[in-house]
Amino acid sequence: MIETLLLVLVCIIIGGLLSSLAVHLMPVGGAPAAMSTATGIATGCVMLMTGAAVTGLFTASTVASFWVTKPNVILVALSGAVGSMLMMGFTMFVGNLIYIFGAGIVPCSGRVAVDPITKESQTEYKTPRTDGHGVPTASFVSGILGGFSGGFGGALIYVVLVSDSYAHFSVATAGIVAMGIFIANAIIAAYNIGGTIEGFHDPKFKARIRTGLTCSLIVSVLCGVIIVIAMLTGTLAGGVM
Amino acid sequence: MLFAWMLIIAFLAFIACMFEDLESDIGSQSNPNSQIQLAPEMGYIHRYFNKAISGEGLSYALSCTISGTIAMLILLQLESVGPKAAILAIPVGAAVGSLVHMVRSSVCHVGREAAHKRFEQPIYLDVLYGHLLPIATHNFLAVICITAIAYIQSNLGILSGVAGASNPFPLPLLCLIWGLTVGAIGSSTGDIHYGTERAFQDKPFGEGRRVVYHGQICRYGACGVRTSKDVAAFCAKYGGPATGLAFGLIVLFENWRTVIGMTLGGVAGPGWNPSLAAAWGIGIGIVIAVVLVILARTIEKWARNKYGPFVGE
Repeated sequence: MIETLLLVLVCIIIGGLLSSLAVHLMPVGGAPAAMSTATGIATGCVMLMTGAAVTGLFTASTVASFWVTKPNVILVALSGAVGSMLMMGFTMFVGNLIYIFGAGIVPCSGRVAVDPITKESQTEYKTPRTDGHGVPTASFVSGILGGFSGGFGGALIYVVLVSDSYAHFSVATAGIVAMGIFIANAIIAAYNIGGTIEGFHDPKFKARIRTGLTCSLIVSVLCGVIIVIAMLTGTLAGGVM
Repeated sequence: MLFAWMLIIAFLAFIACMFEDLESDIGSQSNPNSQIQLAPEMGYIHRYFNKAISGEGLSYALSCTISGTIAMLILLQLESVGPKAAILAIPVGAAVGSLVHMVRSSVCHVGREAAHKRFEQPIYLDVLYGHLLPIATHNFLAVICITAIAYIQSNLGILSGVAGASNPFPLPLLCLIWGLTVGAIGSSTGDIHYGTERAFQDKPFGEGRRVVYHGQICRYGACGVRTSKDVAAFCAKYGGPATGLAFGLIVLFENWRTVIGMTLGGVAGPGWNPSLAAAWGIGIGIVIAVVLVILARTIEKWARNKYGPFVGE
């Protein structure tokens, strides 16, 4: 019993940390990106990451139902990861289609002079008095990795909560609890980023990732403890929904 | 049969996200709202509708969840009628969701415009009345499609005749999930066409909107003063369908890779291998993601070559 409780706690912490890492990897331009005044996707961190994570959660729930009992934790978590990754990929791709063909804008970074993946110069393509625009390749890859990390974290929390080998919550309860833990971590990460970020190549990423992960660890431990109490007392066993 | 339902779901997703984006454009919700909000402070008195109930994701999650909950209650009440009850339950649920959205829109617009009194921005009653119906109708179409998707997915096993194809989440939770996703995508993609292009149509084309332009929105149309309804007419030509395409493709490929995986895993028959089914789904998904990265790089390269470096001051 103690082993199971510890395993659930560890999985929730890992899931929370991966969720926080994912938000830091997102190329988020916020409202300025909608006016092509900043590089990244034109929405907030929490909104985007939650959208991606729930898409992964949907696929994870379908895949978890493949098994009558004891779903394979890694395969379900990977299915969720790939789901989030695809959501991010299509969103960034279509976003770039609108930047390029709808507004005639070349995607370029505003934070680095050279794209670390393509090694192409960015500065001369940037509109003066903006912080870059569009989703350049480095940000695109960072977003894909972020989607994978966030989807894996969210689906990992979901599968340990729903599995009859671990927490054995009902499907709906596990889904809502997983979403809740994910959103708590995403909001903390969004506060840490404080505005826009371009991805792993952004100097902001290096400067703030440690603080973000530390805060996420605290939040995840608190969430994990509440889940463990719920398991011990049987409050959510079998589900309230 | 499973593939046929999957295509219906993808088509509904396309319609849902297109109308979600156009509805947010009519109400100036989400990111470009910052410009509508800033305009009076810059001396730009306008006739745009100004609502920012919340982020689009949360706003649509609420509308869709209300719709899904009402639909589920009606379905439970009319259980004896059978699946035909969905013909009544889904539109009624969506109508209630849209009405609640319309109420939130009206309160939000009036509150925001009243706060702009100090900048001499009037509350135009014709703008308020004239935009509520388009907002409700566009929202209704998005919400009815999302509720229909959730209904199909939660009953896919019965509808397609393939055991185990149904999603285990209940209808309202699926509505919440797809409502969040459709809002997040509408906010991430469609807003660019409105915020960069339509709101600043009198500024030079082909460059990012400089910070100094912020708040200086385009207030005049080809004939007369522009309202938010004109924004929807413009964005319906590219931004809206492109946004619908994003969500449609996500739903299509998410379901497609799962169904292909299930087929290769033996579809709950005697040779059913869930690990193989899940592994195939993951493998196909990774291949799609790699193709997306290559496509993104290709169009970026094309844009760099075609448009060239920034010219001007």
